[in-house]
Amino acid sequence: MGILAYRGVSKRFGQHTALEGVSLEVVPGEVFGLLGPNGAGKTTLIRIGLDILRADEGEVSLFGASPNSKALDRTAYLPEERGVYRRARVRELLGYLGRLKGLKRADARNAADHWLERVGLSRVADQRVESLSKGMTQKVQIAACLMTNPELCVLDEPFSGLDPVNVALVTDLIEERRASGRTTVLSTHMMHQVEALCDRVALIHRGNLVMYGELDEIRRRYSPHEVIVWTGTDLVALGVRATQHEAGAWRVALPPSATPAGYLQELVQSGVLVDRYEPLVARMDDIFVDLVGGGR
Amino acid sequence: MRIRRVGAVARFELLSVVKRWSYLLATFGLPIFLAVVSGTVLGAQTYFLTQRAAESSDFGLVDEAGIVDRSVFEGRDGALVWTANANEVMLYETRDAATQDLESGRLRAVYVVEKDYLSSGEVRAIQSEKTPLLSMRGTTIEPLLRSLLRKSLVEGRLDSDVQERVISPAYFVRSRLGPNGAEVTGVDEALDLLVRTTIPLFLGILLLTALLSASGYLVQTVSTDKESKIVEVLLSSVTPEEILAGKLFGLGAAGLFQFAVWSSMVVFVAISASAALASVVSIPWGALAVAPLLFILGYLFLGSLMLATAALGANAAESQKLTMGWAMLAILPLMVLVILLDDPHGSLGQVMTWIPFTSPLTVIIRMAVDSSGIAWWEVVGAMGVLLLSTWLSSRVGARLFRVGFLLTGSRPSLAELWRQAR
Repeated sequence: MGILAYRGVSKRFGQHTALEGVSLEVVPGEVFGLLGPNGAGKTTLIRIGLDILRADEGEVSLFGASPNSKALDRTAYLPEERGVYRRARVRELLGYLGRLKGLKRADARNAADHWLERVGLSRVADQRVESLSKGMTQKVQIAACLMTNPELCVLDEPFSGLDPVNVALVTDLIEERRASGRTTVLSTHMMHQVEALCDRVALIHRGNLVMYGELDEIRRRYSPHEVIVWTGTDLVALGVRATQHEAGAWRVALPPSATPAGYLQELVQSGVLVDRYEPLVARMDDIFVDLVGGGR
Repeated sequence: MRIRRVGAVARFELLSVVKRWSYLLATFGLPIFLAVVSGTVLGAQTYFLTQRAAESSDFGLVDEAGIVDRSVFEGRDGALVWTANANEVMLYETRDAATQDLESGRLRAVYVVEKDYLSSGEVRAIQSEKTPLLSMRGTTIEPLLRSLLRKSLVEGRLDSDVQERVISPAYFVRSRLGPNGAEVTGVDEALDLLVRTTIPLFLGILLLTALLSASGYLVQTVSTDKESKIVEVLLSSVTPEEILAGKLFGLGAAGLFQFAVWSSMVVFVAISASAALASVVSIPWGALAVAPLLFILGYLFLGSLMLATAALGANAAESQKLTMGWAMLAILPLMVLVILLDDPHGSLGQVMTWIPFTSPLTVIIRMAVDSSGIAWWEVVGAMGVLLLSTWLSSRVGARLFRVGFLLTGSRPSLAELWRQAR
């Protein structure tokens, strides 16, 4: 049962179709990657899921029911268009956002202090938000999002504007959530983060769902039928359909009927001394460009 | 609607506004500013009047007709002088001598009783080149000269008591019925005017200013939310209706406090005036008592419309333009204030009592000018209409607010608004 599920969801703004019959679901405990080029409809899909917008057609369920106030208290959202009250003080802002999620005043204050500590911003707790750098402001927003330890957290481009140290910090926080059984929806253009973090992904293009499923399975599905073989033996001289990949490594196109494991066995049996062997797996960057690049 | 969430929004908005310098300055600075301005104006007026009084009040009189009774004049330094009401009138034998003193600045004006006075009644009043013609207004010299001429004409021809009444036919003693029906004399006209006109005027202006000020904060806060792009964060936690209600209550509380501070100034003036005029005029305590209620109802009605309309603007400037129409409707009673003060319970006042945009200000002015002329059912009815209008405007407002709050870039068409607001 999906914690967040869309069935045949469509949304139009005037003549523009933002979403067309999208169906997918996010299951508990996973990190779900929501991918797509700019203007594909990701943000609209998220807004509909969180009851900020209403779908024209289709059904949405959040925690098993139509999005409602109680369900929204169990979620948190970091929008791509970052919003803060710039004149407010950091602790005051977090306390307010915590109160809006239903925390009592004391609990909101404690949670604010705890999460500011977690993201390394305790020292600026009493400063105005406008005095912080862009990266620090972003961490305040991430703290605001996570401070209620929500069952579902939707993060839209959480890594943009962060330095590598803080990217690692946010990555760790997302990993922690998965380890504790919490669900995270991650919308990002950083494909290496998708590969590192996501269990399943969906790719939206021009309002349509063009790819959806387990990350590993998708990468395998889009991978070439090739392997990389590290060996001192000249494979071309042995009659293998190989090209030089790098010094001491060959890129080999497998026969259609061969499996990577079977082919390795064949190589070893034919006397090739294999130092290292790796089936080629498609990178998410390449899959993304393949699927959406043609029409751009 | 979840009360605690509404309370959280209200508290945040209230604290955000009351901690601003501009709010503190407006709330506590306005009474001080008005006091300083009023004090300066009154002080300057008093100073110039004193200066005017200190100016030469000597006048010349040339009796070419030979009819002026000289018994009232006394000899002083070789001249004949008549002293009356702080004016000194010097009798000249020739027009030239009087004109010379007028030119030298010794006299403020010269009056010449022309030779053919008995047939023409003409007395020529001559001022110097430097003296504005209007400067003779408000002086008592001309009524005094009339009395002198009357006395001169009838002297010895009538019985003394009749002669006295011909000279001074009537001394008007002003009195009026006070609030308790008793006849009171010695009314101070300035204080009477203050209580009867200035207090209703101030109360009305302050109510309107507070209403527009609080509504202005609403427009500002919606623009801030939209411009700071925090809308989505808010809407993922609370409903548009909760945000709308929280903002209305929070900023309404700020506006009410501001109005209370300002009203206390009116109450202070009213109490001061009351001490001087207790038996003459009644202080508009009724108007002062219902003012907070009218403020709250007027604010909730106007505020919910302002919030919804402001949400449709892409930025602060656009939001302000969109909400200007509501403000203009609320100002309407001020535009016809002269009519309302003159005839508070006339047709215009009665009609405007029932229009929700104009009723708070109209009711306040009508009650403050003359509370006996407005029926209790009119006051209660106006509040009822305001309540009903507030209910309607908040329902429509909340829907428009939801649509408008998320809008960025260009404004949607009316058809699109209607479709999304359903």
